[in-house]
Amino acid sequence: MVTALLPIPVIQVLQVLTIIGAGPGVSGVIARVEARLQGRRGPRVLQPYYDLAKLFRKEALAPAGASWVFLAAPVAAFTCYLTVPLLIPVLTTFPLPLGYMGDILGGGFILSLAGFLVAVAALETGSPYAQLGASRAKTFAAITEPVVLFVVFTVALLTATDLPYALAATVRSSAGQIIRPAHVLAAAALFMVILYETGRIPVETHSGTNEFGMIEEARSFEHSGPYFALLKWGSAAKQLILYTILLNVFVAPWGLAATRQPWAVVLAMAALPAKACVLGGVVAVIDNSFAKLRLFKITEFAAAAFLLAVLGVFTLYLGGG
Amino acid sequence: MLPAQAPSVYTGAANVIAVLILLAEFGMFRQALLRDQVRLYAGQSVLIAVLAVLVAAVRHLPELYVLAAVTVALKAVAIPLVLRRLLRGTAPGHPLDVSHDIAGSGGLGLASTVLIGIAVAAFGFFSATVLPVSGGGAPVTALSVSLSVVLVAFVLMIHRRDVASQAIGLFSLENGISLAALVVAASLPLILEVALLFDLLLAVVVFGLLIRLHHGRAETLSTTDLTDLRG
Repeated sequence: MVTALLPIPVIQVLQVLTIIGAGPGVSGVIARVEARLQGRRGPRVLQPYYDLAKLFRKEALAPAGASWVFLAAPVAAFTCYLTVPLLIPVLTTFPLPLGYMGDILGGGFILSLAGFLVAVAALETGSPYAQLGASRAKTFAAITEPVVLFVVFTVALLTATDLPYALAATVRSSAGQIIRPAHVLAAAALFMVILYETGRIPVETHSGTNEFGMIEEARSFEHSGPYFALLKWGSAAKQLILYTILLNVFVAPWGLAATRQPWAVVLAMAALPAKACVLGGVVAVIDNSFAKLRLFKITEFAAAAFLLAVLGVFTLYLGGG
Repeated sequence: MLPAQAPSVYTGAANVIAVLILLAEFGMFRQALLRDQVRLYAGQSVLIAVLAVLVAAVRHLPELYVLAAVTVALKAVAIPLVLRRLLRGTAPGHPLDVSHDIAGSGGLGLASTVLIGIAVAAFGFFSATVLPVSGGGAPVTALSVSLSVVLVAFVLMIHRRDVASQAIGLFSLENGISLAALVVAASLPLILEVALLFDLLLAVVVFGLLIRLHHGRAETLSTTDLTDLRG
C-alpha cells in the first residue's frame, strides 16, 4: 500500500509550528518541575499559554519619546525566531531545501540579531532597568561568543562542513562518534552556553524580579500588551530552538522522521517536545541545586565553558579525539 | 578537508576519562576551599582507577585490576583521610575549618590563570604528538593529556602561595604520571607500581608534617612570609 507523502513545504511549515507551538509548553513544564522539586504545587503546565492569551487581549503602551523601533523590535525579533527553525533539524533526518539557507553559524547570527533588536528597543525606552539589562546582555554575549565559535570549529572538524544536519547524521552513524571526547566536550560547552542564553541558574533567576541580577529578563520591562506577549513567546521559542540544537544535533538526534510519511512526521513532532521536557527537567534540577552566581562571577562560568570547547578542538587536532 | 575519523568506542571512552582527569586538574586550579580540593583529588584518583579497569578489561591485563584497587584504597580513601587528619586544627579558633587560609592565595586573577592553563595544556598536547610512542595500554592521546595534567599541576604549584595547595598540586602531578604510565607501560610490573604508590603515601605524610610545622611556626598556611628568610 502506498501512503501519501507530505509535501516538503508542509514539513517546513510544521517545523516552525512545532517550535512556536511547543515553546511555551516546555517553559511551563520546567516551571512545574522546578516548583515540585521545591515542594510547591506550581503553576499549571499550560499557564504560559494563558499568559500569552491574556497579554494579547491587553492594550499596548509605549513610553513617551520612544520611536517606532520600540514597537517594531518585538515583531522583528519574533520573525527571527520563526526563521531559525527552518535551518536546523527539527523534524527530519534528511535536509530540507531551506535548511541550506544558512549553516550553524548563520542560525547563530539570526539568533543574535534578535537579541540585538530587543536590546535596541530596551535602549529606546530610557528606563534604567531595561537599559542595564540590555547592556549586560550584550556584554556577556560577547564573552560567550568565543565558546560558540569553538563549538562550531569542533563541528567543522568532525564533519568537514558546518551544517547541523551533517553533524546529526555523523552522531547517528556510530557509537564511536558519540563517546569521542571532542563531541562530549563540545556538547557540554554548548549546554553551558544554553544555560546562559536561556537565563537559567547559575547565571540568572528565571522567575521573580531581582533587579540587581537581571540580564535578559530586564530588557522587556517597558513593553506591554501584544508586544510583551511577542517577546515572551519569542524567548520561549528561542529556548526550544536552543534545546533543539543541543538535542537533535548533538546529544540525541533520534526520533526524527526519516521519510516523508505523515505518521513519521507526527511522531517526530511529539518526540521533540518530549525530549525537550526531559532536558528541561535536567535544567530544573540544576536550577534547584546551584546558587546564582554574582554578576562578575559569570565570566568564570564562561571561562569554564570556553575551556571545554578549546579542549575539544585540541583533542581533535591530536587525531585521537 | 576530510571529516575527522571516529575513534573506536574503547579509544573514545579512554580518552574521555583522560580528559575528565585533566578537567579535575583544572578544577583544583580554581578551587578556593582546601576541602573541595582534596575531594577533587580523590575524584581524579577514582577516574585513574576507572581507566585502569577499562584498560585491564580490553587489553586483558589482569594485574591492572589490582592496581585499580590499590589506587582507590590509597589515593581516594587513605590519602584524603590522612590529609584531612593532618590539616585538622591548623586554623586557629576553627578546629575543623582549614579553608580560609587558601582562598585567594592565587597570584593571578581567574581569567589569566585559565588562559595560562589552556596555553600550558596546549603545549603539553602538541609536544606529546611528536613522541614516537605506541603503547600497549591506553590510547596515545591519553599520553598528551597526561603531559597536560603534569604541566597544569606545575602551574598550580607555582601560582598558589599556600603550602596545602602546593602539596595537592604535587600529588595530582603524580596522578598525571600514573596516567602516562597506563599509556606507555601498562604492563609495568605490579610490584614497581605499588612501590611508587607507597612512596606517594610517604610523601603525603612528610608534606602533612611540613604543613603542620609551617603552620605552627607562622600561624598561616601561606608561603609569602617565607621570602623574608632570604639573606
